[in-house]
Amino acid sequence: MAGVLTLRTWRRLFIVGVVIVVVQVGLLQQVTLANVHPDAFLLVAICAGLVAGPQAGAVVGFVTGLVADLFVVTPYGLSALCYVLVAFTVGQTAALPGGRAPHLFKVATAFLGSIGGTLLYLGLAILVGQPHLARAQLVDVLAVVSVANAVLAVPGVAVMRWAFSASAQQSRELATAGVSRG
Amino acid sequence: MATARRNTSQRLTLVILILASITAITLDYRGPASQALTSVRNVARDAVAPVQRVLSEVFQPVGDFFAGAVNYGAVQADNAELRSQLGNLRRLALENQNAEQQLQQLLTVLKLPFLQNSTDVVANVISGPSSNFELTFEIDRGTADGVGSGMPVVSGAGLVGTVVSAGRSTSVVRLITDPRSRVGVRLPDGTIAVANGQGLGNLLTLSDVPASASVPRKGQLVVTSGLQGAAFPAGIPVGTVSSVKDRGGSLTQQITMKPVAQLTGLQYVAVVQWLPAA
Repeated sequence: MAGVLTLRTWRRLFIVGVVIVVVQVGLLQQVTLANVHPDAFLLVAICAGLVAGPQAGAVVGFVTGLVADLFVVTPYGLSALCYVLVAFTVGQTAALPGGRAPHLFKVATAFLGSIGGTLLYLGLAILVGQPHLARAQLVDVLAVVSVANAVLAVPGVAVMRWAFSASAQQSRELATAGVSRG
Repeated sequence: MATARRNTSQRLTLVILILASITAITLDYRGPASQALTSVRNVARDAVAPVQRVLSEVFQPVGDFFAGAVNYGAVQADNAELRSQLGNLRRLALENQNAEQQLQQLLTVLKLPFLQNSTDVVANVISGPSSNFELTFEIDRGTADGVGSGMPVVSGAGLVGTVVSAGRSTSVVRLITDPRSRVGVRLPDGTIAVANGQGLGNLLTLSDVPASASVPRKGQLVVTSGLQGAAFPAGIPVGTVSSVKDRGGSLTQQITMKPVAQLTGLQYVAVVQWLPAA
């Protein structure tokens, strides 16, 4: 699927963003296992990389990170930096041709991407002077976040595909308009 | 050719986004932009607070279900222990009435601020931490209710944490178990020390307890010191002594402490409207 960020795509991504904020802040943070909650923001970055490829995925990851950073007390921009790298890496290594792949592939990518993203976040946090974060229950965090994101990967990819299908649709419309003018 | 151009474009985008992120981090650390970002964060929290309140009411039982399912054994044991403690506490409450009057008189004489001299704001916990790496929670009271950054937060049992960020209608509270948390405390013999957070589920450690100080007994109550300039008023229960290790030859004692307040599954807390003297 073309990782093009048209106005129509941004409009759909805005809707996705609002829903994700409500789901994460209002719902997922209430449902904790071993005091750890799923991380829907990280899932968005992974799915964006999967569906839109490295470039558009990184842009979506960056914006998602800036939104996620509004609700934490760690330095502003830390999540953005992490999600940019996660989305870009996922896009480079596992972008789905045409946004389609077996469910197992999406689940595995979300699982591994979540582990990598969580460790990366911790590493970056230590790098920018937040060493206290390293004392968190890392194993619990890795387990809950990766399993939850793996479970939510299939609907997550579907939502992201819907958002990016707007750009493909717009490209088709432009092409058709071009042909009829010609 | 097209592939090479695409790769260059991708790398350029990546570099720009990384630089933008690093700029944001730098701005948050330094200068007036940090205050502006804090304001933006508070506005964002206030904006989603109504949704959080509603969903918190709806999904609290779901959260409790998961927590209970995972910790079923611990919940049963806690229940039994709490029943036994309730009986003891009823007896102690009667005994403490007299001691409390005496303590109030002593603190008045010493001119120390005391919790009962401060008003408090009861708040509902509307959300846990947004990040799994933070030991914070969010309450539904903010500057409009008289809550300010730096104010102590207590539960019925004792100190829970401190307000670290206050928006108009919501605030973020950092738990005393957060590794950044430092609480000035007074041991039963009057020795002043600092209680340091070591992460959720871990005991607090006491630093600066001289080896010459009398060794506290396990279970003894440790309260906030309330020294001049301290971040907390005097007399708030913080924890009970859990272990004392003799470090043979060391100048300080190694003491750990269990928080008296239940720090997980909180629903209601009180923000003490008290700020340290400037």
